[in-house]
Amino acid sequence: MAETTAQNAPANQEISRRSFLKLGWGAFLAFLAASAGATLRFIFPNVLYEPPETFKAGKPEDYSQGVSTRWTKAQRVWIVRNDQGIYAIWARCTHLGCTPNWFQAENRFRCPCHGSNYTPQGDVIAGPAPKPMYRCAIRLLPSGELLVDKSILENRLVLREKSQFFVAFAGNSSATAKA
Amino acid sequence: MKLPFQLPPIPKPEEIKKKIIDSQIWRSMFRGGVWKDTPRDRAQHILGNVWLHLQPSRVRKHGLKWTYTFGLGGLSFFLFLILTVTGVLLMFYYRPAVDLAYRDMKDLEYAVSLGSFIRAMHRWSAHAMVLIVILHMIRVFLTGSYKSPREFNWIIGVVLLVLTLLLSFTGYLLPWDQLALWAVTVGTNMAAASPMLGAEGPFAMLGRSNDVRFVLLGGKAVGANTLLRFYVLHCVLVPLVAGALMIVHFWRVRKDTFSGPIIKPEELPHDKVDTWPHLIVREYVAALLCLIFVSGWSLLMKAPLEEMANPTVTPNPSKAPWYFTGLQELLVYFDPWIAGVVLPTLIMVGLMAIPFLDPDKQKGVGRYAFRERPAAMTYFLFGVGMWFSLIFIGSFLRGPNWDIYWPWESWLIHKAPPPHTWSLPIPAGLALVGIYFVVGMVLPKLSKPDFQWKSALRTGLLAMLGIVALSKICMHIGWDQMAWLFVFGYIYYVFGVLVPRKHLSTQDHIRYVTAMVLVLLMLGVLMKIGIRLGFHIKYILTIPQVNFNI
Repeated sequence: MAETTAQNAPANQEISRRSFLKLGWGAFLAFLAASAGATLRFIFPNVLYEPPETFKAGKPEDYSQGVSTRWTKAQRVWIVRNDQGIYAIWARCTHLGCTPNWFQAENRFRCPCHGSNYTPQGDVIAGPAPKPMYRCAIRLLPSGELLVDKSILENRLVLREKSQFFVAFAGNSSATAKA
Repeated sequence: MKLPFQLPPIPKPEEIKKKIIDSQIWRSMFRGGVWKDTPRDRAQHILGNVWLHLQPSRVRKHGLKWTYTFGLGGLSFFLFLILTVTGVLLMFYYRPAVDLAYRDMKDLEYAVSLGSFIRAMHRWSAHAMVLIVILHMIRVFLTGSYKSPREFNWIIGVVLLVLTLLLSFTGYLLPWDQLALWAVTVGTNMAAASPMLGAEGPFAMLGRSNDVRFVLLGGKAVGANTLLRFYVLHCVLVPLVAGALMIVHFWRVRKDTFSGPIIKPEELPHDKVDTWPHLIVREYVAALLCLIFVSGWSLLMKAPLEEMANPTVTPNPSKAPWYFTGLQELLVYFDPWIAGVVLPTLIMVGLMAIPFLDPDKQKGVGRYAFRERPAAMTYFLFGVGMWFSLIFIGSFLRGPNWDIYWPWESWLIHKAPPPHTWSLPIPAGLALVGIYFVVGMVLPKLSKPDFQWKSALRTGLLAMLGIVALSKICMHIGWDQMAWLFVFGYIYYVFGVLVPRKHLSTQDHIRYVTAMVLVLLMLGVLMKIGIRLGFHIKYILTIPQVNFNI
């Protein structure tokens, strides 16, 4: 009897079996999707307790020409000084995140994990790393100290030479003047 | 001497045993009547026991031969049990916090009675389990035991292999030593190289603070959150999933029956023996030998523990445990998203596809039949061989700065830095990749499969020598490059042209295309390694704007 009523479902019936099931399954699937979404959101932490990403790296005149490994162990940053000024490279291989080592004699950074090689500018010359190493934002504080910010990074050719990532510094003249 | 009273008669052991077994307590615990060792009793012993009834009450004789299974599946499970017990014990002394974890490891090593031994058992059993699971997979393949109706169980087996590796991987962050930190740094950076979902992969859409690496680490770098996450994954989530899948795996072995040579149905009852005691005894002996071996090994060899984790200094060289050095070596030749994401996925998918690509469903089931299944055997063993060669190179031939050092060379001697690499321009790269796959797909179909191996190999040899000589004259390649070109070219000719022509070209189109794509990809990995080593080509095809590099 139930079947006959279902088959002869009058047009004015408010909800048919089919649409009821559609709604039910739809609601159930929506509930599952929302639960999955909520769980996914849950595993993203909102507050991080990570060490600060800025540090003071001393005065520009403390650095002689070339790559300085003074801050590698404490801050994972190389301070590089060339003719025009100073920049800071984040000592993280762009391949899979190990810390490369500086080899003065070969004028290269070499990574111990998969053998990527970089120039003092941070450009890849051998090995699997896909991109140049990142430079950190660096500026001169009023106190005359350098402030390195590892949370602001750049590795694109022209952009990394911009003032945010480069402190122009007159080179030997000031160092000798002081001496 | 005569006693003033009568001692009751001393009961015989048999009578005591009977009394205990007939007691209501015993009867309430164990089903079944008095043990008379009848076939019925033996069957009942298996069927009436919740643990043992995962096995059939009778098994085919040939499955008992230890050279058939080598007990590898059972041993994998037994090692899982050892790991569960030792793991729970270690948890009593271990706290997953950055400033405590390493100290707890030192306590376990030096202050806890038998702590060092339990930790060694846990570590070495984990290594053994990875090895045994891999060997189990190889055995199942070689005896054709994945064929219908066991295709699905093979797939579950592949997932279990991956979970075994994941268990090892999540486990080695926990000591919070240098290996831990840098292995997990590298592993999670591979995740960051995933297409779209990772911040550093091709077509990246997410940033450093919301991609998959961020979820895995619980932050932007390996830290306190990461340690806690990996602890939960290692001790709770992955073992639960693996345990659930193991139940399915065993249940399917039982339902699909043990693989064996195909015999007539009327012969089947005569081929079977009682599981109790024949199979059970063998299982216990294998487990006992395994336990003795692992305990002995753990008494002699302490579990390694490196210096405390230091997030700024990477040990030089930084080597993964042996089962990941193959992957580590692969990462040297490819962009991280290829070697770390695409290739592992393809390997898994390729393994799972094997039962469905196999053209002859019942050939070579139940025995090591190399001649009956030449193509399947060739490619499977080729892949396994490649993987273990990479493991060998990564483990034994790599030294500081990931340079090549022969095993007898001191790591103190200085090696010249590697030469500069270069990439092909985009049009050339596109053309090369296109030609490789199109020509590779067509070549085995061009002529009939009924050729003579000897003459084909000789023709190929001459052709290869011709190509090498021509390259020398036209492009002035070096002598070492001639050798690379010859070796890798010849390998391609044999495994990419001759074997498919003989064994794959006669299959239907879908199977041929799928199998050929997998074969070309596998050989392509080898070819790319050759191109990098011989010609210092970094990428064949590179589109830096979307981080797409091959």
